Amino acid sequence: MNELLTLLKDGHARTIPMLADELHTSEEDVMRQIEFLEHMGAIKKIWTDQPKCSGCSGCSGNGKKACKSCTPDGGFKNMGQMWEVV
Amino acid sequence: MSATIALLGQPNSGKSTVFNALTGLKQHVGNWPGKTVEKKEGSFTLNGREYEVADLPGSYSLTANSDEEVITRDFIASGKADVVCILADSSQLQRSLYMMADYAGINVPSFLVLNMADVAADQGKKIDTAVLEEKLGIPVISFSATDNKKYDAFYKAMNRALENKSLINVSGLEEELEKIDAYNEMRRLIPEGKVENYSSMWLGVKAIENDKQVVEKLKEVLSDADEKQMEDIQRSSNGALDTGNSKFAWIDALLEGALNEKKSQVSIGKLDRLFLSPVWGKPAVVITILLGLIGSFIPALPFMGLGAGIGALKAPVASALASAGASEIITTIVCNVIIQSFQYIFQMLGFVFGVLFVFGLLEEVGIMARISYVFDNTMAKLGLQGKSVMPFLISFGCTMGGAAGTRVIDNWGQKVLTIALAWAVPCGAAWAVVPTLSTLFFGPGAVVVIIAILATMVLHMWITAKIFGRKLVKKEDRYGMIMELPPYHKPKWGALLRYVFGRTKDTFFRVAKVVLLVCTIFWLLSYSFVPGADPILCKIGKAIEPVTKFFGMGWQLFMAFIASSVGKEGALGVISALFTDGSVYTAFSDAMSGAAASGDLNSILLANVTRPEALAFIFAITFNMPCVVALAATYQETCSAKWTAKIAAYYTVGALVIATIVYHIGLLIW
Repeated sequence: MNELLTLLKDGHARTIPMLADELHTSEEDVMRQIEFLEHMGAIKKIWTDQPKCSGCSGCSGNGKKACKSCTPDGGFKNMGQMWEVV
Repeated sequence: MSATIALLGQPNSGKSTVFNALTGLKQHVGNWPGKTVEKKEGSFTLNGREYEVADLPGSYSLTANSDEEVITRDFIASGKADVVCILADSSQLQRSLYMMADYAGINVPSFLVLNMADVAADQGKKIDTAVLEEKLGIPVISFSATDNKKYDAFYKAMNRALENKSLINVSGLEEELEKIDAYNEMRRLIPEGKVENYSSMWLGVKAIENDKQVVEKLKEVLSDADEKQMEDIQRSSNGALDTGNSKFAWIDALLEGALNEKKSQVSIGKLDRLFLSPVWGKPAVVITILLGLIGSFIPALPFMGLGAGIGALKAPVASALASAGASEIITTIVCNVIIQSFQYIFQMLGFVFGVLFVFGLLEEVGIMARISYVFDNTMAKLGLQGKSVMPFLISFGCTMGGAAGTRVIDNWGQKVLTIALAWAVPCGAAWAVVPTLSTLFFGPGAVVVIIAILATMVLHMWITAKIFGRKLVKKEDRYGMIMELPPYHKPKWGALLRYVFGRTKDTFFRVAKVVLLVCTIFWLLSYSFVPGADPILCKIGKAIEPVTKFFGMGWQLFMAFIASSVGKEGALGVISALFTDGSVYTAFSDAMSGAAASGDLNSILLANVTRPEALAFIFAITFNMPCVVALAATYQETCSAKWTAKIAAYYTVGALVIATIVYHIGLLIW
């Protein structure tokens, strides 16, 4: 897992298949490392929540949910998941 | 004599299903003392023997990070459980056996249940439990918790573990751990039997992982010198990174020969080979976006027709009103303000619909995620994190949403810079007004205008990043990002269309309000209530026209530019109001005579505004500040009135500078 963190230090974004390729391992192994590092607090998930609406014009949100006029209903569901080094 | 079994597993390992199947109705739910974590206990009778079941809270591991983990550990360490049932997900053993690896070394009998065997079988995975059992030294079964009839194997494994008091054979794990220097040093400090129920291997691992509870426990039993040495070892080690690696290596060794799966090649799809290519990725993404935007004009066409239809209502309505004896001021308000505004609003909706549809589709299909991947490195060049891409993409819909989206950026300077740059992204309202005006003045050439606007946007963002970046972002180390890209899939048309229609409807009401309000105010200001006298707005306008001409805009367009700071759609309201045919009487008499040309705004616009002027105006409103609400959102997110004002002033001046340049380029062309 040190290797994974070292790789990320160059500041580039990588997909999971790319990491698997660079670390000479399987995607499954990369996924479990990510899971582990996330629980350890070495990396964190970003964009798990949609931005809370604070009142754009024509907004049907109530300040708690994401604004329906700004993002698709239920937020962007198909944007994948991103993690960043803490 | 009764026995207590504790169910241990990660969330989604199927613990609850097993618990319910075992206990049926004989269960009670409460809270663990002093915690908000749910406590589930139950019991069942098998062959005359009573079994108590405790459903331990699901957690990733046994490190004391959360309430769930502490409760789980305390329960096991207290010796209340006679046997622990460790659950793992057969469909992803490499990952889910981590809990078992973290448990190994606790001296409480256990057995391993590989749940969701059906899912694993569907994936073509074959698991040889006999091999695993041999290596682990505890009963191992493969089963599906949902299949109520197959609990016999479960009971057998449970009773075997109880009878033999089977403990996990940790020699393989220990071999892996011994490769870590810090572990070897730590082990020397901790003799066996220091803390009840935990092996010294387990304590050593947790001490290296800096588990606070374990460290406290060890401090109680270690001498002062040893305690100091323990802290030294902790400081010098990689902590959980190393021990985690050992556990994973051990899991892999266990699965060697026990897990038979089709090796899936690391494969990248054809489309991804294009989008993710270092060379072709960016051009491919840019072309996709451009084609998308151009394609978004297609659904706009029917709306254009609808708008024109509304415009054609003017003459009949005017003559109807006149014959009904309505005063001329009412007639002009209805025809020149209301009908005119709605003509624009409907034409605009077409573009709103088109852009929403295209962006929604790109997101649904999975291309949007690739776009954010491709632009990650570009973000780095602007001094931003990769996650800044998302606020930019949202800003295509609504700048206010983009500003709110910067909340994921922790660094204040980067956040402010991201907002400052997001302002340059033409928002949904701009995507409505700009194509409407572009098609009016340039016909099919509008496509070129749109491309020029996008190119200007990129340049604008780059220059803005250079100007503001120096103060806002330090050249600090940038850490990389991991992205899990979603697979491409067919769009769900129903959901997509619901979203697009819903938002188009929202936009319609918002835009109608703004356009009508702005149009009415400006029309009143420009209406000469005293015949022969210049209205106020005309006087002001003519006074400032020498200056505004410098930016390539007549006074009417300049007023529209000012109004676009409130909201881009406001610009259309001003145009509707100010480009009436000079005298009201003309419109009125035209209406009386039933002339269809009365107040035909488009032809008036084309007659009064030259192409370079129109181009200057289009660029000016596109790159003007997005709207008042975005301004408020910017203040809210940056918490700095100074920076909000700075950005607003920068954009107002910037828009005028861009307009001037565009105007002069336009003069060279036409």
